[in-house]
Amino acid sequence: MSARPLIATDRAAIMLQLVPYLIGKGEVSVQAAADEFDVTPDQMRGMVEKLTVIGLPGERGYWQMANDLFDIDWDLLDEQGLIVITNSVGLERSPKLTAREAAALLAGLQVARRIPGVGDTDLFTGLLAKLARGAASAPAEVIVAPEPVDAVRATVAAAVREGVAVSFTYKAPDAAPTTRTVDPVKIQIASGQWYLQGWCHMREAMRTFHLDRVSDVRLTDIPVTHGEEPAPGWFQSTGDEIVARVRYPAPVAPLLGEYVDRAEVETTGGVSIATMRIADELSLRRLAARRGGALEIVEPQGARRAAAEWAEAGLAQYR
Amino acid sequence: MPANTSVKSAPEERLVNLVVALMATEQGLTKDTILTSVAGYREQSESGASKDALEKMFERDKESLRGLGVPIETIGDRADPDDLREARYRVPTAEYELPEDIEFTPAEIALLNLAGGVWSESSMSTEARSGLRKIRALGIAVEDPIIGYSPRISLRDPAFPALQQAIEQSRVVTFPYLKPGEAAPRLRRVRPLALVEYEARWHVFAYDLNVDADRTFLLQRIVGDVQSTRESFDPALREGAGERALAGLEALAERQLALLEVNPGSEAALRLSRRARPAAQGIRVPYVDAQIFADELASYGPEVRVVEPSDLRAEVIARLRATLEAHGGVA
Repeated sequence: MSARPLIATDRAAIMLQLVPYLIGKGEVSVQAAADEFDVTPDQMRGMVEKLTVIGLPGERGYWQMANDLFDIDWDLLDEQGLIVITNSVGLERSPKLTAREAAALLAGLQVARRIPGVGDTDLFTGLLAKLARGAASAPAEVIVAPEPVDAVRATVAAAVREGVAVSFTYKAPDAAPTTRTVDPVKIQIASGQWYLQGWCHMREAMRTFHLDRVSDVRLTDIPVTHGEEPAPGWFQSTGDEIVARVRYPAPVAPLLGEYVDRAEVETTGGVSIATMRIADELSLRRLAARRGGALEIVEPQGARRAAAEWAEAGLAQYR
Repeated sequence: MPANTSVKSAPEERLVNLVVALMATEQGLTKDTILTSVAGYREQSESGASKDALEKMFERDKESLRGLGVPIETIGDRADPDDLREARYRVPTAEYELPEDIEFTPAEIALLNLAGGVWSESSMSTEARSGLRKIRALGIAVEDPIIGYSPRISLRDPAFPALQQAIEQSRVVTFPYLKPGEAAPRLRRVRPLALVEYEARWHVFAYDLNVDADRTFLLQRIVGDVQSTRESFDPALREGAGERALAGLEALAERQLALLEVNPGSEAALRLSRRARPAAQGIRVPYVDAQIFADELASYGPEVRVVEPSDLRAEVIARLRATLEAHGGVA
């Protein structure tokens, strides 16, 4: 998480949460507290120092007494970068969740619930009730519809849970089907698509498999031996891709989703040109056909031709 | 210390001092007491800032804190509730703090951590993390995290935050909505009731005041700003709206069943079969929006053929034709 610029109300919100956090921890390093709150260590130190001028109002005409203010162990902070609250004058318990915080977690729970085997109904029901009671005001209802779970997804989720390899037939676009055995490391789920990242026994390397290209899946009894391998980053470059350029009216951009996120985009006169790396010349033809002419593949010529052929073959079925 | 540093303390200090002061009082503090005793106001009062300016600052601070979820209560004159000159202000502890009897088990925390991580880069991610921190600060023993799954949900629609805020506040909104096949967007005026993600797209379920009926709008077809109006509605109308919206979408999908022929073993077959039911020849797939479904079917190119309905079939053919023409072919 990168630190973001903070405005005064952000800092006030953090300080309100900081007191219960610090009291709960007893003693914590500036670095750890900064990480917890997604701020830089300097920002965290500044807020902790400001805490010591916070306190109960003085009686009329008198300044506040020392024990009316929050205080910290300054020596520990200066010498060892550790934060310890030595006097507190309120705010000891966490504030309620805002409506929006509650909504973000409630919807997140519905997303997690789509994964077979994660949490049971009682756990979810209990959490929904607690979050509702812990919210300062009624959250806007944000509903995430359940998705159908097929045998492939259920089996792969079970393999992750049980720590065993899974074997399946994999059909990459325009390659012959292959049989793979994979130590599952992580299931990435994005926009309704499931991807399995894991150690491929055949390739002896980490690979990402789109579960919509997987069939004949079964659990093996081979215990996972490469489960600790770092999962490759999302759309991490493998170095062997080709560069493609596509052209589209700028307002179409939100419909292109993750393709545009990893592209360099130049927009002039309402028309955008995106330059991106793709795995092969065939991988853009589905996107082009989906957008029905609103998106044009400019280059490479091979990808352009592939889109035309894809559409032509589709049309031929209706003649 | 130079005079200006003591007078101009940072605004966050003043805000937090105000919360501490308002929580420490049972009977409430008057505005005068606040402006002359709470650090941040007091220094400015004493250095001769105008009462008008200080009162405006107090009003802004109250709004900022309410925006952070701090419940500031106004206790008015009993004889004349509209007379705020002698009003007193407080923050009731029971409404500010997470209730004492709410506890989270380690298994619940593990699940919440997974739930809080689904929002990728959107503003909802910041909200989820902030909510999680508040819960974690209750000091719960940590259980093994749930690893091996990284579910994420995308939120690219610029209309989402404004609609969410309008729902929270039960406010009527307007927005320009472009229906497929119409030349220009039309301004809709609705009571927004719930936001629904269905098949990886966001919808707002609302009561459309122009047609006096419930309607579901796709956020990606909202082509301009969502404007909040001064008109509010009864928050009770929001109750159960999410369930109603979902039931409506599912019922709509049941009424619209496309008959398709798919190439066995193709990506189209794998993807569509998850939603499909077998038919005498091919498969039947329910859908909620012909335009959106036609986009998907066109992307499969030769892997799928639409048998019926004919309007869906025509939409798919039109997309394939346009794709071919855009890439130098002649349809």
